[in-house]
Amino acid sequence: MSAVSSGSATLADVIRTHRRRIGLLAILGVALVLPFIPPFTGEDYRRWLIVAAFMAAQAVAFDFTAGYINIVNFGFAAFVGLGAYTSGILAVDFGISPWIGMVVGASLAGLVGLVTGALTLRLRGIYAAVMAWFVGLALMGLVRNVPEVTRGSLGLSVPLLLDTSENLPYYYLILAMLVVTFVVLAWVIRSRYGLAFRAIGQNLASAKASGINPTRYLVINFVLSCAFAGWLGGFYAHFYGILTPDIMLTSHTVEVLAIAYIGGRGSLWGAAVVAFPLSIGVEWVKVQFSTLPGVHLVLYGVLLILVMIYRPGGVAGLARSLDEWWKRRRLPDRPSEATADTGG
Amino acid sequence: MTTAATNLRSVPLARRFLSFTWLTLGAALLVMAWAAVAQPSILIDTLVTGGMWALMAAGLAMVFGVMNIPNFAHGELFLLGSFTAFTVYSPIRDAMFNDPSLTVLKIFGPFPGMVAALLVGAVVGVLLEVVLFRPLRRRSREQWVMNTFLLTAGVSVVIVNGYRLAFGNNYHGVTRYWDVPPLEILGVPISVDRAMVLVIALVTIGLFAVFLQRTSLGRAIRAVSQDETGAQMAGIDLNRIFVLTMGLSCALAALAGAALLFLFPAYPDVGLQPLYLAWFVVILAGLGNIPGAIVGAFIVSLLQTLTAFYLRVGWVDVMPTVFIILILLFKPSGLFGSAVKGVWEQ
Amino acid sequence: MGNGRMLELSNVEAGYELLQVLWDVSLHVDEGEFVALLGPNGAGKTTTLRTIAGFLKPSGGEITFRGTPIAGARAHAVSRMGLGYVSETLNLFPAMTVHENLQVGATSVRDRGQIAATMDLVFELFPRLHERRGQLAGTLSGGERKMLAIGRGLMASPSLLLVDEPSLGLAPMATVATFEALKALRERGVTIMLVEQNVNTTLHLVDRAYVLEQGRIVLEGTGQELLTNPHVQAAYLGI
Repeated sequence: MSAVSSGSATLADVIRTHRRRIGLLAILGVALVLPFIPPFTGEDYRRWLIVAAFMAAQAVAFDFTAGYINIVNFGFAAFVGLGAYTSGILAVDFGISPWIGMVVGASLAGLVGLVTGALTLRLRGIYAAVMAWFVGLALMGLVRNVPEVTRGSLGLSVPLLLDTSENLPYYYLILAMLVVTFVVLAWVIRSRYGLAFRAIGQNLASAKASGINPTRYLVINFVLSCAFAGWLGGFYAHFYGILTPDIMLTSHTVEVLAIAYIGGRGSLWGAAVVAFPLSIGVEWVKVQFSTLPGVHLVLYGVLLILVMIYRPGGVAGLARSLDEWWKRRRLPDRPSEATADTGG
Repeated sequence: MTTAATNLRSVPLARRFLSFTWLTLGAALLVMAWAAVAQPSILIDTLVTGGMWALMAAGLAMVFGVMNIPNFAHGELFLLGSFTAFTVYSPIRDAMFNDPSLTVLKIFGPFPGMVAALLVGAVVGVLLEVVLFRPLRRRSREQWVMNTFLLTAGVSVVIVNGYRLAFGNNYHGVTRYWDVPPLEILGVPISVDRAMVLVIALVTIGLFAVFLQRTSLGRAIRAVSQDETGAQMAGIDLNRIFVLTMGLSCALAALAGAALLFLFPAYPDVGLQPLYLAWFVVILAGLGNIPGAIVGAFIVSLLQTLTAFYLRVGWVDVMPTVFIILILLFKPSGLFGSAVKGVWEQ
Repeated sequence: MGNGRMLELSNVEAGYELLQVLWDVSLHVDEGEFVALLGPNGAGKTTTLRTIAGFLKPSGGEITFRGTPIAGARAHAVSRMGLGYVSETLNLFPAMTVHENLQVGATSVRDRGQIAATMDLVFELFPRLHERRGQLAGTLSGGERKMLAIGRGLMASPSLLLVDEPSLGLAPMATVATFEALKALRERGVTIMLVEQNVNTTLHLVDRAYVLEQGRIVLEGTGQELLTNPHVQAAYLGI
């Protein structure tokens, strides 16, 4: 801001101070025009874009918990599924508009998140992760075991969200949902809550010592993430038009968490950006090897393993260190933060 | 991560295990006594699967206690074990079918498959430690517990889907290992397979306990779980212990898969239920508590059997969640003992 | 080296990621000697021992143990070479009995007869441990824990024993007992290097001592020499 108002500010300065925001807007611009660039002009490829944006939005919501409070919501897919089924059943059995159903689904997912979080987030992180997984299994079991309502593995047919069979409107819708997810969660991260999240995620003991009630913040974070998962699930339901319990499989959670961690934990943007090339690549693999079901999951698994061992910061971490290196190169005589650290 | 570890250690095993579990154990024994009279099959199923969940849970608890790794790929060892046993046993079964006079095979035929499963499990476990955990350990031990959890989640997905790619979605199983009429114990018929599974479980658990309690290597494993630095001061090579622990834990899980082949045929997702039941056990007993895991396994097996018997098999997935939520509602400090409250891994 | 040099540090530099603690530290311990490393809090005494024992990799300099370079060797390997280390935090196995702790201490020893003999020696030095041998280490008193740590260190029959602050947190009686035990050990031919803050007692006990200040060796001499040294008297003995 000060760079703009001061007379001596050059364009380069403006770009430097706002490079993050400019970069993200540029990427959003690319995402907006992408469906008009071949091969994405074809309906099948536009469908890939929808999947990519859907994965991106999920990964952002996932990273909000995993990257900031360091809790892995291992039942994430089940919360997505809960939102999907809520909205779907409301539409099928009660004729409620999917737009309202999606909000109800989000609320219900948030509520289940609240119960899960309130019970387990006081305990060590690994318990919360395993309990979230159990809750996810239970939700899936529930859906399977009440076929009277959910039609079980036969699949529940759900009305579509838009009155069209074209993919383009759905793409812009999910892109908008991605932007909303990102902006809201990034805004929370920038608020005083975000500071508390980070403090807790990095060091619970010292966060407690500085007077933060960790459980409250952990629960708030967890509920928000679950609610967004449910909301996105609503999109899934009314885009595909058919729901099976498989949407809640742990392997879907692993897909989302793989994207989130490859993108870089604790960055939000890394997950959003990486999701596009990654899930488009994966869709391509799925098509190329359609006789080999699950090959894309092997890919996700291997990538996740490699990232966990060799690049725990993911793409965002890579970008951060590139940025630091660049800064140091640009300002050789001014001591940057990084050199000051190592020099002491 | 040291905080996590020390907190497990600061409370003697026995006491940690006493607080909550004895009550449940008493209740479980009462139910079992009743079941033995009313529905003998419940008792038998509980003991049979319980023995194998004990092998699974003991390995899971040991790996957490010694290496601080919450192994999410533990169920996949069950899968690999069951498929190995199937592969080795099939030709033996065919040989018996072609020549019924081979009485030796009739008695000892199933064992080569189980031994092979043990070996495969051990090899995979060693590979996991050497190829994945060791490089990660060398690079960083920050947020170790969560990172290894994710790492093993990746491993699980790779093994399940790799298996699916290689062997497809079909069931590979056997109807029975020992083709002989059921035994009758106290007027209750028990198939020889079930009886043998129980015997195998008890023998393995016994050997495992003796190994940990009485041998120098077993003591070294326990020493590492209690104080890594102290163990190194005593000349114990941590890398060696980690390899051994991982190999042993995975071998036990694979053996469980092999022994239960007649109940759980090999297919890509077969490891899921053993995995979450083993996790359920370990959470009830306390992470890293091996004796607790063994006893807890029978309690969980009883719950599972009752659920499947009186409700529907599908509700077994829901049972752990309901059970844990109930406990947390009535005892908010948790079933995990006071040692865990407010602790975090670094 | 033939002259009975047990341990030699030459120009050792060591520390933690962003913080160098030891600067150009050179010292040696000869066979059969009882040597102390003295100095104020934070001088780097514990860091020195941790570096020797292999828990910290030196960034420069050389460490040789009985003529073999050990700088950068892993801790368990150093222990197996016969260099015992009793840390300040003791690092006992709290859920194991006293007896089991001692057994683990002898992990590197194959000969059962030798293990039994060493255990007899430990119980002779510390009769309290014998009384408590079936008790869990986590339930011992501070003094007993200290004894157990030293006993466990002895179980591998080390030729050199590093002991970090044996008197720390002990009641005077227990301190006396610990020092008596160290003296007895030394009479049995075990070479000992001791880190202590209790300067007066230590200087009366040891053959030689080094004074470490801010990561550098500032003084070296026999116990008697240092007791009469003006700097030691002013800074540590309050004379």
